[in-house]
Amino acid sequence: MAPPAQSQRSASPSQPSGKGEVSDLKSQLRQLAGSRAPGVDDSKRELFKKVISYMTIGVDVSSVFGEMVMCSATSDIVLKKMCYLYVGNYAKVNPDLALLTINFLQRDCKDEDPIIRGLALRSLCSLRVTNLVEYLVGPLGSGLKDNNSYVRMVAVIGVLKLYHISASTCIDADFPLTLKHLMLNDPDTQVVANCLSALQEIWSSEASMSEEASREREALLSKPIVYHLLNRIKEFSEWAQCLLLELVAKYVPSDSNDIFDIMNLLEDRLQHANGAVVLATVKVFLHLTLSMTDVHQQVYERIKAPLLTLVSSGSPEQSYAVLSHLHLLVMRAPFIFASDYKHFYCQYNEPSYVKKLKLEMLTAVANESNTYEIVTELCEYAANVDITIARESIRAVGKIALQQYDVNAIVDRLLQFLEMEKDYVTAEALVLVKDLLRKYPQWSHDCIAVVGSISTQNVQEPKAKAALIWMLGEYSQDMHDAPYILESLIENWDEEHSAEVSTYLFWGYGFIMKISSYKSKIGQFDILNQQYWLIYTVFGQVRLQLLTAVMKCFFKRPPETQNALGAALAAGLADFHQVGFHNVGLQDVHDRALFYYRLLQYNVSVAENVVNPPKQAVSVFADTQSSEIKDRIFDEFNSLSVVYQKPSYMFTDKEHRGPFEFSDELGNVSIGAESADNVVPANRVEANDKDLLLSTSEKEESRGPTHNGSAYSAPLYDSSSASISAANSLSELAISNPTSAGNASSSSLAIDDLLGLGLPATPAAAPAPASAPLPPPLKLNPKAVLDPGTFQQKWRQLGISFSQEFSMSPQGVAALTTPQALLKHMQGHSIHCIASGGQSPNFKFFFFAQKAEESSNYLVECVINTSSAKAQIKIKADDQSTSQAFSDIFQSALSKFTVS
Amino acid sequence: MAGAASALFLLDIKGRVLIWRDYRGDVSAIQAERFFTKLIEKDGDPQSQDPVVYDSGVSYMFIQHNNVYLMAASRQNCNAASILLFLHRVVDVFKHYFEELEEESLRDNFVVVYELLDEIMDFGFPQFTEAKILSEFIKTDAYRMEVTQRPPMAVTNAVSWRSEGIRYKKNEVFLDVVESVNILVNSNGQIIRSDVVGALKMRTYLSGMPECKLGLNDRVLLEAQGRTTKGKAIDLDDTKFHQYVVSYFKCVRLARFENDRTISFIPPDGSFDLMTYRLSTQVKPLIWVEAQVEKHSRSRIEIMVKARSQFKERSTATNVEIELPVPSDSTNPNVRTSMGSAAYAPENDALVWKIKSFPGNREYMLRAEFSLPSITAEEATPDRKAPIRVKFEIPYFTVSGIQVRYLKIIEKSGYQALPWVRYITMAGEYELRLM
Repeated sequence: MAPPAQSQRSASPSQPSGKGEVSDLKSQLRQLAGSRAPGVDDSKRELFKKVISYMTIGVDVSSVFGEMVMCSATSDIVLKKMCYLYVGNYAKVNPDLALLTINFLQRDCKDEDPIIRGLALRSLCSLRVTNLVEYLVGPLGSGLKDNNSYVRMVAVIGVLKLYHISASTCIDADFPLTLKHLMLNDPDTQVVANCLSALQEIWSSEASMSEEASREREALLSKPIVYHLLNRIKEFSEWAQCLLLELVAKYVPSDSNDIFDIMNLLEDRLQHANGAVVLATVKVFLHLTLSMTDVHQQVYERIKAPLLTLVSSGSPEQSYAVLSHLHLLVMRAPFIFASDYKHFYCQYNEPSYVKKLKLEMLTAVANESNTYEIVTELCEYAANVDITIARESIRAVGKIALQQYDVNAIVDRLLQFLEMEKDYVTAEALVLVKDLLRKYPQWSHDCIAVVGSISTQNVQEPKAKAALIWMLGEYSQDMHDAPYILESLIENWDEEHSAEVSTYLFWGYGFIMKISSYKSKIGQFDILNQQYWLIYTVFGQVRLQLLTAVMKCFFKRPPETQNALGAALAAGLADFHQVGFHNVGLQDVHDRALFYYRLLQYNVSVAENVVNPPKQAVSVFADTQSSEIKDRIFDEFNSLSVVYQKPSYMFTDKEHRGPFEFSDELGNVSIGAESADNVVPANRVEANDKDLLLSTSEKEESRGPTHNGSAYSAPLYDSSSASISAANSLSELAISNPTSAGNASSSSLAIDDLLGLGLPATPAAAPAPASAPLPPPLKLNPKAVLDPGTFQQKWRQLGISFSQEFSMSPQGVAALTTPQALLKHMQGHSIHCIASGGQSPNFKFFFFAQKAEESSNYLVECVINTSSAKAQIKIKADDQSTSQAFSDIFQSALSKFTVS
Repeated sequence: MAGAASALFLLDIKGRVLIWRDYRGDVSAIQAERFFTKLIEKDGDPQSQDPVVYDSGVSYMFIQHNNVYLMAASRQNCNAASILLFLHRVVDVFKHYFEELEEESLRDNFVVVYELLDEIMDFGFPQFTEAKILSEFIKTDAYRMEVTQRPPMAVTNAVSWRSEGIRYKKNEVFLDVVESVNILVNSNGQIIRSDVVGALKMRTYLSGMPECKLGLNDRVLLEAQGRTTKGKAIDLDDTKFHQYVVSYFKCVRLARFENDRTISFIPPDGSFDLMTYRLSTQVKPLIWVEAQVEKHSRSRIEIMVKARSQFKERSTATNVEIELPVPSDSTNPNVRTSMGSAAYAPENDALVWKIKSFPGNREYMLRAEFSLPSITAEEATPDRKAPIRVKFEIPYFTVSGIQVRYLKIIEKSGYQALPWVRYITMAGEYELRLM
């Protein structure tokens, strides 16, 4: 029996009986250990249960280890199970004692009862004690061959456990190959499924070390294996089906028949009662059809109904998970749920995490035809009991308004919100009205009438207050009271947010401390700026707005505002002296006040131009997430990434990325770790897949291509764009001036030579344009090391500092029939390959190099098309200023590549 | 599953660990407990907390059941939907063993809980989550010892969900067609959303290894069979089948099912859901409620409610419960009804009107008066805009018009089994925003 419900889970002094009872147990167990009296098993069971209960509530019962092991010499399976449990719990902390158990566990592994064999094997593998590894191999080997599937099932996972304790032991015993054999031949589906889980994990983490493993990893995705497993899918348990479908989603179909076969086979999985299976099937459908735009659209139609059912039936947690996915889908295909918006209406009783997602969905699906109804529904929620939901729904209305549908009706609604006389509703609505006016100035007349009637007393939140003040300033000519409202606000300057100041102070200070401990030189200023900005927006926000608003008002209605302006400037100038230096926000207020003051002194009309320039309406507010990130999340459909709306590298450690997680930008081309010789032919399929993905997404919608190329066309850093123009002028120079290249013998070699001689390896000697500063000579570290994980991370983090397309020499192209040769060649120039792949005519390589003295890295993606003899490179660099120089080195190295 | 769970936790209502099972050894129970207790403390209302949260490298996914939290932790990018569903399945398993899953039943059954946790997941990969299969592994009930010496059934059988050698004296099947109506009516009396979620729930007491064949009047099904669809056929928007269903008409591409498009399946023993479906057609509200609220002075409020049944007279709704929201500080209820009884439930700020039996095409009235406090705080809490909510059951009636045409049981011993079919319609999320 379990002891009375005690909440202490440690042998704390408040539980004085703990120790005494444990020693009591110990002696009782010892008495029973040797006894063979009838009924002794029952009393043992009682004692064991007590031990387990103690263990669970946190009493340390490791002292009875010996007695437990002695008592376990029994045929009673219940006793055995409890004993295994106990051993499993304490073996890790008592490796010496664990040795005691090996003997009886090994014996049990040969028991007649398959369940005991299985359990013993599982316990044996779960001990997690490194020095006992040698005892595992034997029982595991026979467990894998056991004629009972329960034992085999346990043994397969046992192999994976062994791998995590000691990878080398596992590999040396050839267990992965045995698993592969079992996966293809075992009659029991759970054994097969476990083999698949184990192999995926083992081969993925081995892949970076051994060529064979990465080949095996690819082989899991080969047609025979995938088809073999798919044909059995209906026998699999629901969880195993999820596992298998996850695998199929990564499969690269050979042609469209392949795709249709798989989809036909899996069609009925969309009707499975288990929502996880349905989602996994959806993922397969979406990913298989990426290359076929029209079929892809049909897939959206097909998956709609099952997904909506999942949202409206089942647990709220399931709705939550599914809604996150729907949100992702609707971002890619906005039309998909446009007519089903009613499914996203909130129910009164739903938990707010579901409501929040539904609100997001409603904003996302809004279009011309349904906006009116959606907004009507959203307005219902504004009066919701749950204030966060009420706020969210008002914000949703605003977002829809900014999407330009049916603005007229929405403005009316927002104005109604303002009249609702609930503080938080008014606050949210004010912020929205401000944003709306920035986009649609033509509505100012309607809005201002209402805004003018709001009492500033009722607006307390800084954000809302700032919005209101902005409108007062901007439209002071239309608001009769504007100068007087502003004046009264200025009178209360000091009361502004005295309560908040202390918290913000603390907050701001923390930031600065963080920044100063931030070591990296690059980017420090950026971050500083950002933080200053952050602090001031929250902090001095209201006062800053107030200053500007009074200025604006002054130019429109000078006589009425003059006093207020004087008071505001005086108060603003005083801020600095009041609070002290670490108050960044108020420093800003002081500075702005001073600036205005001097500006007015200098020239009033200039000041008016500065403060009240003609404004252009904001047409598009910035999107928060890049399309690259969105695509990456889509690649990881049906995982936590979608729920967090972040790609997995942002929240998992490298060693915990699941199987196949490398299959992104870089990973699709498999990782040929460190050695350049490691180009694996098997990865061609993946590279091919990659190309497929690229081309389709480009075709599909012009939302900016996926992983590659012009996705990076966002504004670059100044330094890098400078280097690009420098680079362009360099190459132009070289090409437009062929004679300078000297002794070009045949025209076909001209360009080759140009690149080879015109841009020599040491860029110091390059004919750099006079305007560009001469870059220092760049030396590369011949022994540079970079692990694939870091590479991936950097590749994602850095922007492209340089990209160019140029022609390859025919010799170089000819030599590419053996891509490995290129890797060796580049290595000779201290440029190392980290991954490569592709199929003729398209090859793709990822290279890296390091500066000789410092650990500054250059990352290169190089795509070579052998049929057009063009090479395209993209360079990302830690130190962007030298990327130009590096690119020269790279190109010259590449141009020297010929058949050896 | 793209990634394995690291551990499973069972926590009490305050977030303290009751039992946990460490599968991969890469998360710490202390850290998880510290994080989780803080999480549910912070928010006051744990309901509003997302079921997936992230803390220093670990993702926690949890669900609540009674006074227990079930939580999975993982360091990998695992499949969130699947794990949340898995946790619900774990609840079902525990319920099968302890009748009800709550803190007390867990504390009473540490050993069984450990055994179950050991079998449902191995190294973070879900294994078996069906109570019937698990019972083959769970040995703690000593009296079952002798019976279970044979290897577990999931292993030897082609049909993993049904043991061989089941015997019943009387072979019977019960099939319940249960439809729940979700409806949302706005303050103008317009239906803004309605759908029907139906389920075919079965209880089987059949010997041997029977195969069941079920015929429905689903339009798709009938058309697939080449039968003309008369008025009676219905359209189901989306159907989901339990894995017991071996073949279904949707497999039309496979030639061998061409001639046999009924739903055929080998039922597990006991109760299960065979199929669920959804229909999003416009449904007429079966019970319509109209309310009028009059504030007579600052201190008195009068509510008049009319409830009307809008279905044929031969059907009768039972256990009708109409929940009417009232201001939160109402006192002195004074209620009269033309049928049933009404009680004030201050804990829900509602007046609950219960009518045991409500025949079709009738109308009943309720009139209620409440006193309000004459002094209200200047900063009164915002008015709760709760909808009127209705619960009811209508036996022998389906909204969709779905009909079971036949239910055949075929077993090689050739016994005769009795199929019983029942229909019932219930209120699901039935909300009218009329007050």
